[in-house]
Amino acid sequence: MTVGMHLALVVEDDAAVQKVLRMMLEGNGLRVVIADNCARGERDARSQRPDIAIVDLGLPDLDGVELIKAIRTWSSIPVLVLSARTAEAQRLLAFEAGADDYVLKPFSAPELLARVRAALRRHVRVELPAGILQFGELSIDLSRRIVQHRSGTEVRLTPLEHRILESLARNRDRVVTHSQLMKEVWGPNHADTRSLRVFITTLRRKLERNPTRPTHIMTEPGVGYRLVVDSQQGDAAGS
Amino acid sequence: MSGSPSTATSAAVDQGTYRASCSRLLKRLAQSIELIAARPHSGPMRSRMWMRYYLSAVAVTLICTAIAFPLAAHVDLINVVMIYLLGAAIAGLLFGRGPSALTAVTNILAFDYFFVPPLFSFQVFDRSYLVTFAVMLLVALIVANLMIAVRAQTEAADAREQHTAALYAITRKLAIVRDADTMIITAIGHIGDVLQARAHVCLYDESGQIIPQTGQCPSGRARFLPLRGSHALIGMLVVERPEPNCDLLPEQQRLLQAIADQLALALERVHLAELAHAAHLAAERAAMRNTLLASISHDLRTPLSAIAGAGSIMAQPDFALDVYRRETLGRLIEDKARDMSDLLTNVLELVRLESGAGVIHRDWHALGDLIGIAIQRQESRLMGWQLTTDVPGELPLLSVDANLVVQLISNLLENAIKYTPAGTRICISACHVDAGVRLVVEDSGPGLGMDAPDQLFEKFTRGRREGTTGGVGLGLAICRAVARLHDGDIRGTASPMGGARFEITLPGVDAPRMIETESRIA
Repeated sequence: MTVGMHLALVVEDDAAVQKVLRMMLEGNGLRVVIADNCARGERDARSQRPDIAIVDLGLPDLDGVELIKAIRTWSSIPVLVLSARTAEAQRLLAFEAGADDYVLKPFSAPELLARVRAALRRHVRVELPAGILQFGELSIDLSRRIVQHRSGTEVRLTPLEHRILESLARNRDRVVTHSQLMKEVWGPNHADTRSLRVFITTLRRKLERNPTRPTHIMTEPGVGYRLVVDSQQGDAAGS
Repeated sequence: MSGSPSTATSAAVDQGTYRASCSRLLKRLAQSIELIAARPHSGPMRSRMWMRYYLSAVAVTLICTAIAFPLAAHVDLINVVMIYLLGAAIAGLLFGRGPSALTAVTNILAFDYFFVPPLFSFQVFDRSYLVTFAVMLLVALIVANLMIAVRAQTEAADAREQHTAALYAITRKLAIVRDADTMIITAIGHIGDVLQARAHVCLYDESGQIIPQTGQCPSGRARFLPLRGSHALIGMLVVERPEPNCDLLPEQQRLLQAIADQLALALERVHLAELAHAAHLAAERAAMRNTLLASISHDLRTPLSAIAGAGSIMAQPDFALDVYRRETLGRLIEDKARDMSDLLTNVLELVRLESGAGVIHRDWHALGDLIGIAIQRQESRLMGWQLTTDVPGELPLLSVDANLVVQLISNLLENAIKYTPAGTRICISACHVDAGVRLVVEDSGPGLGMDAPDQLFEKFTRGRREGTTGGVGLGLAICRAVARLHDGDIRGTASPMGGARFEITLPGVDAPRMIETESRIA
């Protein structure tokens, strides 16, 4: 994949974390710009046109959520939140502001890099070839609403399951919040999450090899769901 | 002659009804007397009451005459006098001095008119009847006076009994109540019932300031009773009568004072209990802080020294670092830092959970989903252990806080990994029970190694004394806090697989609902 010389904007006020992130990202072929507050972060985002932004939430001048909102007014670049805030309400705020992913501090290098790559990949590859999505042993034809196993057998989905899967697939590798998912599948006036839970369970039973240890339809607790397309497959589809 | 028996029977019937109505009248009168004794009435009501007494007094004479008149032909006049005397005595018993004097006078007049010759005239031929009249009057008055004295005593005894009963009732009520607010409400309600007065209580705080209370401001005619504790004034009982000109009777004032004393005692008891509880909590907190500090300082210093050591080695320019050494040191720093982070997370989480309210965000979740997340969190550590899951797909949804339940399962998994050798089987299963959903995490390891598994869930308790395995013993304490926040429970037992078994019951399941919702919507 052509991660090549992608430019990453890191908005982080702690010098030690800045240093670690710079080493980590530069060591993996990214160029890095570092800003230590929101104002500078927004300026750099406009002037440097980064391919991805990695944003801390607790910044000296403003909350990182504000920066995400500001970036979202003019750009669709992937934004990855890197924060020590664990409360799900705060995570939800970040996602609703337009964050693509949320990595908790303390983070490990492989985890962060995997998330960065996934975010970049999603951004690079906007359209699916012929609307066909492949992951694991399944291929999903979104326009014809057909899910096929590699062995050729068809997996039958109900219309609602299909709509959920479609919504997740359109935002693959990125978290879809509960409210967003319910709005897209059931319409704006549906507030009960129970049916969503039930359908996610049935979807997993149909699509996952081991439904209790899912590898594709992942839960982001308190926030929403994410469809993970594994990297080789995704790369193959993208290149 | 043929008519006379029937007249006699009708007279007898008349007398019967007379007696019946008479006793009814007396009963009614007796009730009204009790009313008088129970509560003092205002002016116009009282005069109407006396009016009734005087009328009743005259009625007694009429009744006596009605009884005596048919008998007069058959008996001596002295017996007729006895009937009138009896009437006067009854009047004295029931109506008090004035009305009974009236009865005496009307009795004499009736006796004179109907029975003393010449009949149907107030004239008296035989002067000796004047003595009879005088004796009748005198006897009536003496009986009335005696009766008044007796009644006064009875009333006093009644009042004392009421007083004692009221005091006993409130003492008993105050004794079973545990908080100050309920005590005050009880006392106020009681004063309202017994004395028909509105009351409220102002309390003083530590510095002697009145704690502001909601409620009406006392008017000028309110009565203030101090609530005295053994050391200081606790507050004020403010009592107000609804009617302006009606002050409390002396015994009511004494009752009020007694209630105030009881209330003060009870309030002081609550205050002392609070102080004792606070002291107990403070002592517990101090002990807890010491344990926490000891545990944390040990469990933070150990990894810190490893990190500092590893860092200093890597920073030395002349130290020969081959790839293997660099990786070992880097891994060591990462692992130790992660341990410290986990420890801090646990401590913070436990403090948050134990501080209580507002920490739980319930939503509907499939338990299988939550188990999946927990496994995913422990994925990297689970290498080498054989994990199986047995979660039926038709398990009902649970109304729980996802993060907390995930943490609970994750902690149990982490424990299983930490305290069993690699290769051990770990099994997570769930089933629907009456009380909700039961989640079981068990392993085939060495077991809990403890006689009292409940103790495991206490903070800073570990199955075995500090050994090579890190941890401060917060994991299970958090599990229990989470289970209890969800009104569930957690138990540790021996597993049929040979090792430890943790059983968590979580209530709050959804009513059975499945895919039928789809056919409706889609």
